[in-house]
Amino acid sequence: MAATVAGTSSAGDHMPSHDAPFDYESAVMACARGERYALQSLYQRESRWLLGVALRIVRDRPRAEDVLHDAFVQVWQHAATFDPALGSARGWLYTVVRHRALNAVRQPDRLVSLDPDALARWSDAGQAEANDGDRGLDADSLERCLDRLEAPRKACVVFAFVDGFTHEQIAERMATPLGTVKSWIRRSLAALKECLA
Amino acid sequence: MIELDDAGQRDRAAGEYVLGTLDTGERVAFEVALGRDPALRALVGAWQDRLLPLTQQAPAAEPSPSLWRRIELSLGVADAPRTRRAAPPWWARVRLWQGLSAAGLAVSLVMGALLLRQTVPEPAAARYLAVLESPDRGSTGWVVEVQAGRTLRLVPVGDVGHVPAGRAWQFWTKPEGAAGPTSLGLVRAGQTLELPVQRLPAVGARQLFEITLEPEAGSPTGRPTGPILYVGSTVAL
Repeated sequence: MAATVAGTSSAGDHMPSHDAPFDYESAVMACARGERYALQSLYQRESRWLLGVALRIVRDRPRAEDVLHDAFVQVWQHAATFDPALGSARGWLYTVVRHRALNAVRQPDRLVSLDPDALARWSDAGQAEANDGDRGLDADSLERCLDRLEAPRKACVVFAFVDGFTHEQIAERMATPLGTVKSWIRRSLAALKECLA
Repeated sequence: MIELDDAGQRDRAAGEYVLGTLDTGERVAFEVALGRDPALRALVGAWQDRLLPLTQQAPAAEPSPSLWRRIELSLGVADAPRTRRAAPPWWARVRLWQGLSAAGLAVSLVMGALLLRQTVPEPAAARYLAVLESPDRGSTGWVVEVQAGRTLRLVPVGDVGHVPAGRAWQFWTKPEGAAGPTSLGLVRAGQTLELPVQRLPAVGARQLFEITLEPEAGSPTGRPTGPILYVGSTVAL
């Protein structure tokens, strides 16, 4: 995913996957029918990425594994509520995991203590991890649209989505007034939507 | 609070819901709305797909070899009592969306209770939900679930703090059009309160529920005398 060419955005024309595209929608719908192998195939296919996403937010490996455990149980129990007409199964799966992770760090008694190096690590926010292989995501379009935002606004979006920071935490990390951060995020989302349309 | 009647605000809220920047109160209210609003679920689906590529900014992490086994064991327990349904009714969908947040989890317990009751074939009684928020901080503290002819449940969903020494929290309701509020008794921090609905003057939509700060033995006048800590009104489910 490192080599991106602005303008090539249609899904499926990026790097070839080694095997046939995995059908996430069918897998989730098979879960709804009680077919356990389908959940296992989702797990085999996606768990290392999902755990990475959870770990980034909760910053603690045992807790991240708890999040992934709870999320897969939730996916199994609620697969019948997934509606492919409303979005992709993979998007749904990541939302389940991310919200589980956000819950874990936003419990009143579990306020996350921020890694002092977090901001430094994210000075290059927006650089996709280049060495983790191709996941068949059409990252190019979003990357191009994020690159159109001013750097601090792009960082806000990444802090929120990837690190799971609240408005307040972003304001603190970026030493920027809360109202400014809120308005940057609002406008960045609007700009991304327009750019991706 | 988000106005979900406004098209621009709906889409913005869906984006921030997926991004993860709604505060607890907004998130609970949003998830309640999601359960009954397919168009809103479609907006969320679109934002999920727009932002999905950002998930690859987190480096992969290999799960412990035992994690899948743990999940499988939980499935064995979790799916045993469940019966398959051809088409889940809308309130089953509500449970998923509300399962997505901690505060929502409390709501989903409420919905879960409704789900269990649904298995007994009885005429459907009207159900209502109210999210009680702090007027000062805008944060959600409690959710009220009430079903005509049955029970009212007041469930803590946020960090409501502690009752100050020598004071009490008193729970009130005022049905739409009623002259004044009726006391439903004192509540304790962090505890679910259950009441038979016969204690309520009425049950309906836009019914106000609130918690006020009162003297230790409750309001001496039968009317709220202290500041409103949490307030919200019902929506029909």
